[in-house]
Amino acid sequence: MSSAPRTATERTKLPYCHESFHNLQELRHSASLANKVFIQRDYTDGTVCKFQTKFPSELDSRIERTLFEDTVKTLNNYYAEAEKIGGQSYLEGCLACLTVYLIFLCIETRYEKVLKKISRYIQEQNEKVYAPRGLLITDPIERGMRVIEISVYEDRGSSGSSSGSSTTSSSGR
Amino acid sequence: MPSGSMSGGLSGPTSPPHPTVPSRPLRPSRYVPVSAATAFLVGSTTLFFCFTCPWLSEQFSVAVPIYNGIMFLFVLANFCMATFMDPGIFPRAEEDEDKEDDFRAPLYKTVEIRGIQVRMKWCSTCRFYRPPRCSHCSVCDNCVEDFDHHCPWVNNCIGRRNYRYFFLFLLSLTAHIMGVFGFGLLYILYHTQQLDRVHSAVTMAVMCVAGLFFIPVAGLTGFHVVLVARGRTTNEQVTGKFRGGVNPFTNGCLRNVSHVLCSSQAPRYLGRKRKAQTVSVQPPFLRPQLTEAQLAAKVLDNGIQGDLHRSKSSLMESQSADAEPPPPPPPKPELRYPGLSRGPAGHSEESSLLNKAPPTPTMFKYRPTYSSPGKNHTALTHAYANQMSRGDSLKESSSSLLQSSQQPGYRSEPSLDGQEGGGVERSGPERTGGGPGGPPGSGITGYSLGGRSYPSFSDPTVLAGGASRSSNVRSSHNALPSEATTSTSYKSLANQTPPPAPRNGSLSYDSLLTPSESPDFESAVAEVSPGRPRTPVVGYSSPFLSAQIAQQREAELHQPCASSTALLASPQHAGYLRGFPSSPPAPPERERERQLHDSQPPHHHHHHHHHHHHHRPPRFSRPPLLSDSGPSQPSYPYRTRSTDTPLPNTTHPPRSPHPPPLGKSLSYSSAAAAEMQYRLVRKASASVGGGGIQAPKDEIQMKSYSQINGQPKPSSTPLSPSNPVSVSTRPGQAYSSAGSSQSPAHKPGGGVKKVTGVGGTTYEISV
Repeated sequence: MSSAPRTATERTKLPYCHESFHNLQELRHSASLANKVFIQRDYTDGTVCKFQTKFPSELDSRIERTLFEDTVKTLNNYYAEAEKIGGQSYLEGCLACLTVYLIFLCIETRYEKVLKKISRYIQEQNEKVYAPRGLLITDPIERGMRVIEISVYEDRGSSGSSSGSSTTSSSGR
Repeated sequence: MPSGSMSGGLSGPTSPPHPTVPSRPLRPSRYVPVSAATAFLVGSTTLFFCFTCPWLSEQFSVAVPIYNGIMFLFVLANFCMATFMDPGIFPRAEEDEDKEDDFRAPLYKTVEIRGIQVRMKWCSTCRFYRPPRCSHCSVCDNCVEDFDHHCPWVNNCIGRRNYRYFFLFLLSLTAHIMGVFGFGLLYILYHTQQLDRVHSAVTMAVMCVAGLFFIPVAGLTGFHVVLVARGRTTNEQVTGKFRGGVNPFTNGCLRNVSHVLCSSQAPRYLGRKRKAQTVSVQPPFLRPQLTEAQLAAKVLDNGIQGDLHRSKSSLMESQSADAEPPPPPPPKPELRYPGLSRGPAGHSEESSLLNKAPPTPTMFKYRPTYSSPGKNHTALTHAYANQMSRGDSLKESSSSLLQSSQQPGYRSEPSLDGQEGGGVERSGPERTGGGPGGPPGSGITGYSLGGRSYPSFSDPTVLAGGASRSSNVRSSHNALPSEATTSTSYKSLANQTPPPAPRNGSLSYDSLLTPSESPDFESAVAEVSPGRPRTPVVGYSSPFLSAQIAQQREAELHQPCASSTALLASPQHAGYLRGFPSSPPAPPERERERQLHDSQPPHHHHHHHHHHHHHRPPRFSRPPLLSDSGPSQPSYPYRTRSTDTPLPNTTHPPRSPHPPPLGKSLSYSSAAAAEMQYRLVRKASASVGGGGIQAPKDEIQMKSYSQINGQPKPSSTPLSPSNPVSVSTRPGQAYSSAGSSQSPAHKPGGGVKKVTGVGGTTYEISV
C-alpha cells in the first residue's frame, strides 16, 4: 500500500514528532529523517549482549511486529554466538598467549567474525525489510552496543513541519 | 591531542570530549608510575640476565635463563596489552540518542538483572545511562565497560577488554618476581665467599628490588584471584556493592574464571570504521495494516521503561510546548543521588519537568493531571495551598512555628508531614503524625508545601519555620537535599536558634501555615498517591506528593495564592514568605524540593514562573528537581540537561498581581531555616516587586533577599553570598551558614513579626 502522506494527526502519534529534529539526515531527496527509535539492551540475563524485543510504539504504524521481533531475536542470537565460551574462543586464547598476542595482528577474533556477520545481516534486513518501510537500522556496534538505533523516515512532502525542519529536503541534496 | 597546555609539568584543562573519541590533555604526572614500573621491571630483569643468569646457566642448565626469558616476555606482553589496549571505552552518545531522555529524566534507571535491581546512572559526560558494571573513569574521562579500576602502573583503565591481560600480568609478574628472587638467592648461596664481587652485589640489589615489590604485587594478585573467582570487579568490591548481597553478575567460580580467561576478545567501540550507508530509503513506504485495536493499543502502549519516559516526555512537551519552549539541552551535569543536590537548572528543569512526563510510572500517573492545566495547575495548587495554609497559619502561634522549625526533622522533603508541632521527621510517612495538621505526605512537598507553608508570607512565624507542619515541610525542604547532610544541617541550625523564634525562616512559612493545612495535604497526598513511598529519597518523594497535592488543591481551590506561589516559587526551601499572587505552585514546589536537597545552591529564580513547568515529575531516585536549580547544581538527582535553564526567572510573569501578603517585610528567625525562607520570600518579593528575577539561583536568592530587606526592590542587585543577609547559595551551606550567622533574635509578634535574618538583618513580617 502506498504510503499516504503522513498527516499531522499521524505524526502526533509518534512519541515525539520532532519537527525540531535538527539532526536530519536526508538519505534521498524524497525522504527525510523524522525520528529515531532506540531499542535498549535487555539486561535481565546479566551483561551478555541482548536487546529488548519489546515492540516500540513508535514503529507501530511502520512495520509489522513480527518482522521487528525476528530481526531483534536474530541479532540476539548472533551476539550470543559471539560471546559463547567454547572451543574456538579457548583455542584463540591459548594461541594468543603462546604467540605473545602477535596473533591478533594476523587473524580475526571470533567476535569480530560474528560482528561482520551481524553487519551483513543488518544490511540485508535494511535492504529487504526496513528501507521499503521507511526505516533504517544502525549497527549497534556504532553505539557501543548499547542501543539499536532505528531511524524513521517520512515522506518529505507529507509532513510539513518535518519537511520544514529538513532543510535539505528541498535542496534535493 | 592534548588540549591542555603543559607548563612545568602542569596539566592543562580537560579538553571537551569529542563525539566519539574524547581527547585528553597531556599530563606528565600521569606517566610517572608507569615509567617507574617499566624501569624497575626492565632494568632489574636485564641486570638479572646479565649478572646472574650466565653463571646459573653454566652451573645448572640452560633452561634457567630460557624459563626466565619466557616468563619475562610474557610479563612484558601482558604489561603492554594492559597498557595500550582500549579497555572498552564507550563512545559518547550522539545527540539524537540523548533526546529521548530529555530533561527531567531521572538520574537513575533501574533495571532488573536476574531478579536483582541494579541502578544505571546517567552519565552527563557521555550522555547515556551507564550500562551495568560500567563506570566513568575520571582520569581518562571515559565510560568504560565492566570497569574494574584505573591502574596508575599501566596508566590505563582496566575494563572488559583488557582485564584478562591485566590479570595475567599480575600472575606472571608474581611468578617472575619469585623466579628472579629465587635464582638470585641460589646465586648468592653459592657465592657466599665472593660477595664483594660486582655480580654478587648486583644480584643482591636485584633481589632487594624483587623482594620489595613482591609483597604488594602478590597481595594484589591474590586480591584479583578472589575477585575473578567471585565474579566481581574491583570497583564493585571496594564500593561494597554486593556486600552482604547477591552478585547478579556471577555465574559460579568456574564460569567466572573461564569468562575472564577464555572468552573471545571483546571488540572495541572506538575507532571503528563506519560503513557508509548504502541502503536507500525512498517513499512510498510500506505500511502495515493496522486494526482499530492496534491503533488504540498503540496510543496506550507505554512501552518499556525507556519508552515510558520517552513518550511521556514527548507528550508533556507537546502539551506545554506553547507554555514554555524547552530550552536547548545544556550539558547535563551529573546529578548526585537525589536528595543531596538540587537539579542543576532549577528553572528549566522544573519547567521541563512540567513539560515532560515524569520518568517514573508514578509520576507519569500524575503527569496528565498536572500538565493539563499547564502551568496553572501548579500555580493553582500552590496558590491554593498557600491560601489554606495562610489562613491557618496566621492563627497559628509563633510558638508552634518555632516548634516546627526547630524540629530537626525538617526533612528536605516538602514533607508536609512531619509538621506536627515541629516534629519534622524525615520520612514522609512519619511526618504526618505530629503537628497540628499532620502534614501531608512528603510527596506533597513541592506543592503542598507551598500551600501549607506559605499561608502568609508576611507571617514571620512562617519564616521561622513554625511549629506546624508547614514548617516541617519547609524544613524538610531545607533538609531535603541531602538526607544526611541537609537534615543534619537543618537540624543543627534549627537547634541553634532559640525556641522563641522559629529558627529557620524557611520553615517558618510552613509552621505559619498551620498544621491544619498539613493534614489536608497529607490526606490529599495519601489519596493521590497511596503507593507513593512515604519515605522520600531525600526529598524525592516530595515531587510526587506535591504534585498530587497540587492537583487536588488546584481542583479544590483554583486560587492562585500569591503567598503560596511566592513560597513555592522561591527556590529556597520552603519558607518563602512571598506572597506571590500568581506564582505557580511549581516554583515553590521546586524550591521546596530543592531545599530538600539542600545541597543545591538556592535557585536563583524564585520560580517566578508559576508554570507548573516547574513541577518536577517525581523521579525515582532523584529528588524532585527544583526548577531553580541551575546547571550549576551538579548534585541534582535529575539529569540536568543543558536544557534546564533557569526558567523560573525567565518565565515568570511578574507576580505582582497579588501583592504578597508578607510583602517585603519579612521577619526571619535567626535560624537557618529562616534564611531559606528568606530566599524564598525574597524571590517572591523580588518577583512581585521587581518582576522575575532571572539571575542564577544564587543571584536570585540574593535578590529576593535584598528585596525582602525592608522593601521589595526590583531585583537588580544580585547579592553575593558574602552578603550578610544573603542566603548561601547552597541550601546545605546556606542552612548551616544561616544557622550560624543568624542571630537568635526572633521576635514573633502579633501584627508584625520581626525576624532577624542571617547576618543580623531584621525583617518585619506583618502577620
